[in-house]
Amino acid sequence: MAYDFAAMLQTIKDKQWSLADIDWDAPGAETMTNELRAKMRPFMADLVWIEHVGARGFASLAKKAPTPEIQEIYRYFHAEEQKHANAELALMKRWGMLDEDGSMPEPNINVKLAIKVLDDFGDTLPLTALATLIPLLECALDGALVKFLLEEVSDPVCHQVFRHINSDEARHITADFEVLELIGAGPTHKLLTESIGSLKPQIVLGLIVVFVPLINKMRDNIVAMGLPEKKLYNAVKRFSTIGGRGEFTKRIPAYHVLKAQAAMIVDRSHVYHRFLADPMVKATRLIPAKLLGKPQSWTEEITHEPVAS
Amino acid sequence: MTLGEFRGEVLRGTEWFGHDFAGQRVAVVAPGREAAQIVPEVAATALSVKVFQEEPDWVVPMPVPGPSVVGVAVARVFLRWQVKDPWIRRLLTPDRRFGSRKTALGLGYYGALKRPGCKLITWPVYAFAPNGIRTAEGIEHRADVVVLGASSHFAPEGRTG
Repeated sequence: MAYDFAAMLQTIKDKQWSLADIDWDAPGAETMTNELRAKMRPFMADLVWIEHVGARGFASLAKKAPTPEIQEIYRYFHAEEQKHANAELALMKRWGMLDEDGSMPEPNINVKLAIKVLDDFGDTLPLTALATLIPLLECALDGALVKFLLEEVSDPVCHQVFRHINSDEARHITADFEVLELIGAGPTHKLLTESIGSLKPQIVLGLIVVFVPLINKMRDNIVAMGLPEKKLYNAVKRFSTIGGRGEFTKRIPAYHVLKAQAAMIVDRSHVYHRFLADPMVKATRLIPAKLLGKPQSWTEEITHEPVAS
Repeated sequence: MTLGEFRGEVLRGTEWFGHDFAGQRVAVVAPGREAAQIVPEVAATALSVKVFQEEPDWVVPMPVPGPSVVGVAVARVFLRWQVKDPWIRRLLTPDRRFGSRKTALGLGYYGALKRPGCKLITWPVYAFAPNGIRTAEGIEHRADVVVLGASSHFAPEGRTG
């Protein structure tokens, strides 16, 4: 039976929440010790930026959505990812992790590269490629990082915020994979032509240069925090587990390419890490940020203020 | 969708026309075709204006005769000429497949959006709070007055709060 996207859209609308619903001055901020604060700050900054970049990914998906209903769902997901970034920035402020002026932390070079690729190619990527890439990143980065955070931090406000965020993310993953089912059930010639369309050298190179090191860089940050990388790998495995449940997702060539990449990511002894991903983390560190130019103004939209006058 | 508990003034239809908004924070909730007419007028007197654009429409500076494809071409050039920020331009561009192919008149729309107190917001509006509008990016935008476009999603509803 076809998935009811209209019902999903209604649920999304019904489940909206606001930063203004949360008491950001409630007790609990004192549980953030100086040691934990120093350890968590770069992690939180990366998390905020990954949500923010994820939001931009959904903006591109909305342009490619196969139906007006799915387009509206992606429009909400775009806003919700932005809300997650805003809420996480508000947590950073609560924990004293921001500068006095409350300005946004600088993104790392891998995030800057992701911003550049999304700005340049995001809206031209075919639906099959983008709709497959986004759930992988959501499983790998969003899902895993949020779990780490909840294990490390006991602040009740943080747990309140992430109950909302996890509930949103569960809907994102459900809708993402249902869209893959819909695409996979489409005509074979369309799947093939779209897949061939994704093979432009600048797109393939852009994706490799950006997303391969992005995941490994995040793994390095997690390991630096003393957390087991196995959990990140378990999160990545969800991509093939959930995708494997579908009847038609396996007809999408991009799904198989990314599933193979996910399998390489979770196998720490694979040559993928030694000869591609890890060297790329080091190589991208050498890229001068100035070369990437000024990002588009969506990167300035983030705020930790629940109320705007 | 309802106006819920919003305690401020709500203007409907053409009530905004000729209204003095001096010292007020105004929220315009409307699709682009209506915002193009409402915003220049409101921005002329308001303290600040937030434009909650429900969907973008092609805006032309003057009536364009001929088929809609000509109007859209003129609207594209007008948008490119008036709005230099590529992200804002993207937000003002109708969807290629499901978006509108009609054009609306709005010579002063883009100019008004560039005014210091004027901000374009395209996040979905999901609720009206007592003091403002809540959008899906999690922020409550405070407003003293709400101007509803005639074809806004909220226009058919009366005040229920």
